[in-house]
Amino acid sequence: MSELATLARPYAAAVFKRAKETGATEKWSQSLAFMSAVLSNEEISVLLDNPKVSKQDLLVFILDICQGQIDEEGANFLKLLVHNSRLALISTIARLFEAYKADDEGYVDVEVSTAYEFSEEAQLNFAVTLEKALSKKIHMNITLDKSLIGGVLVRAGDKVIDGSIRGQLQHMQKTLQ
Amino acid sequence: MQLNPSEISDLIKKKIENFDLSSEAHTEGTVVSVSDGIVRVHGLSDAMQGEMLEFPGNTFGMALNLERDSVGVVILGSYQHISEGDTVKCTGRILEVPVGEALLGRVVDALGNPIDGKGAIDTAETSPIEKIAPGVIARQSVDQPVQIGLKSIDAMIPIGRGQRELIIGDRQTGKTAIAVDAIINQKGTGIKCIYVAIGQKRSSIANVVRKLEEHGAMEHTIIVAASASESAAMQFIAPYTGCSMGEFFRDRGEDALIIYDDLTKQAWAYRQVSLLLRRPPGREAYPGDVFYLHSRLLERASRINADEVEKLTGGRVKGKTGSLTALPIIETQGGDVSAFVPTNVISITDGQIFLETSLFNSGIRPAVNAGLSVSRVGGAAQTKIIKKLGGGTRLDLAQYRELAAFAQFASDLDESTRKQIERGRRVTELMKQTQYSPMSVAQMAVSLFAANEGFLDGIEVNKVLDFEAALLSYMKSEHSELMERINATGDFSNEIKQDMQTAIETFIKTHSW
Repeated sequence: MSELATLARPYAAAVFKRAKETGATEKWSQSLAFMSAVLSNEEISVLLDNPKVSKQDLLVFILDICQGQIDEEGANFLKLLVHNSRLALISTIARLFEAYKADDEGYVDVEVSTAYEFSEEAQLNFAVTLEKALSKKIHMNITLDKSLIGGVLVRAGDKVIDGSIRGQLQHMQKTLQ
Repeated sequence: MQLNPSEISDLIKKKIENFDLSSEAHTEGTVVSVSDGIVRVHGLSDAMQGEMLEFPGNTFGMALNLERDSVGVVILGSYQHISEGDTVKCTGRILEVPVGEALLGRVVDALGNPIDGKGAIDTAETSPIEKIAPGVIARQSVDQPVQIGLKSIDAMIPIGRGQRELIIGDRQTGKTAIAVDAIINQKGTGIKCIYVAIGQKRSSIANVVRKLEEHGAMEHTIIVAASASESAAMQFIAPYTGCSMGEFFRDRGEDALIIYDDLTKQAWAYRQVSLLLRRPPGREAYPGDVFYLHSRLLERASRINADEVEKLTGGRVKGKTGSLTALPIIETQGGDVSAFVPTNVISITDGQIFLETSLFNSGIRPAVNAGLSVSRVGGAAQTKIIKKLGGGTRLDLAQYRELAAFAQFASDLDESTRKQIERGRRVTELMKQTQYSPMSVAQMAVSLFAANEGFLDGIEVNKVLDFEAALLSYMKSEHSELMERINATGDFSNEIKQDMQTAIETFIKTHSW
């Protein structure tokens, strides 16, 4: 996985630079998401490593599927990936692209799990506090998780803020061992 | 350890009282691959070099490789239950081990957990295993001796407090025996000992523990054991663990002695870890930083001055210097000291005790090669009387070695050469000493004095040790006051010289052996 990221990074960086130049980051984001969704399809991923399918056939096939969803530059990008036999990297490229985009726009995606439903007001308050704590704008995605018992669990990238009863009970269990 | 129920509930209550309820923020990552105790973790963007990482199942690892997209971690302990996708938490702490007085008399593993079945160790203090050695200003020169209790070492290769003296030799030459004798001889001197066993058989470690217990030396000793069956990571960190435990005493103005048995195996373990982490191999397949591996460890053995002790203890201990003396052990293959690790450690240490198979097999035990063994700083620390009397011994042996080749033509040699050879043979014989019988300064002084003044010259070579034993028991019973005087001051005055002279003369006249 880490090796994949190393290989995918130059592609993602290049795509992001181009997207910034043309001011089409949102569009690129959508096309990359579509491409990775297509290529992660089981039936298609079988084709990727099939030696009987030539690069040319594969390219025609994939461009055919993506028709209407990607523009000319997107098609060129796919051609490049097929030529370099790096189609398998597409999902990693998409992920890195999103990371570059988020970094550039100055926000972080935050996964918030709560034990009980947030009220509108509490949600707003919480978002403001979190933005202050992380010193970045946030895109919050709230899910309900009863197993937390109480409190909230926040995930922003690889940072985790565990304010749940479950987490504290686990912590206490460890201390008492 | 028996606890009654009320004590247990008290303990739990106390722990709950101190329990920190603040919400916990940490960084998480996921396991990408697991192989041979090495785990690659994705995420953990703010992990530190050497940081303790928490895996599921109360397992810990140490971050060793910080790469762009992943962190290379060695698992400390078993790794069978860790699988791809497990979450890994940062703890924000460099790997720490418990330190303190409570560890004395205990056997612990490389993480400081007790493995002697005597229950939990009650220590509040912990210390990181990797620390920077004391600076130049904090140090003081070595001027107090560590008595090893072996004539050949204390007389010819003296060791001072804060010194690093390498014990080097092939397998089965008595390296560990010297170390164990050194620990036994520290009984009652206030020097705390730490014996770090790396990559040894568990049976050998058990043997050492039993011998130390038999001689009442466990009370002042901590044993850190990373046996051959433990993971390479544990063997790699064990010396640092032991060193931190020793530094605790040094930093409180006490003296400590640490034995690393042996650093060759630690270098092997580190080589294994490094190769699995895909660091490029160098000479003998060791990684590039194998010199630093040992130099940063041995630099921590030092003598620190009273000001530094006062600073480190916050003014609680005044006017006392602290020291950590290190006796690293290196095992050579076929007497080859020019291999990579032996040359490195020789250059780092302040001298070496060189043990030889041929000497060992010809019955000279400890099998110290007096010509190749040196102590670069110990001379300044030697007890006055031993320094005075031991100088002659070194000279006698050096001259003997030069002439030994001619020994078989004894009949054709002139009187003075023959005399030197005879003296050399007797001194060589006198340097033999059985295991677990360390000698006091006074006992050594009497033996060396007898050799210097020529009292041994009239005794058959194979009777020398009997003569010595009889003489020492005579001195103990008839001249205990003189012996105590020597032990107390360590000075060599004309008066003491005269007293010893008359005592030995009387002994020779009146006793047999």
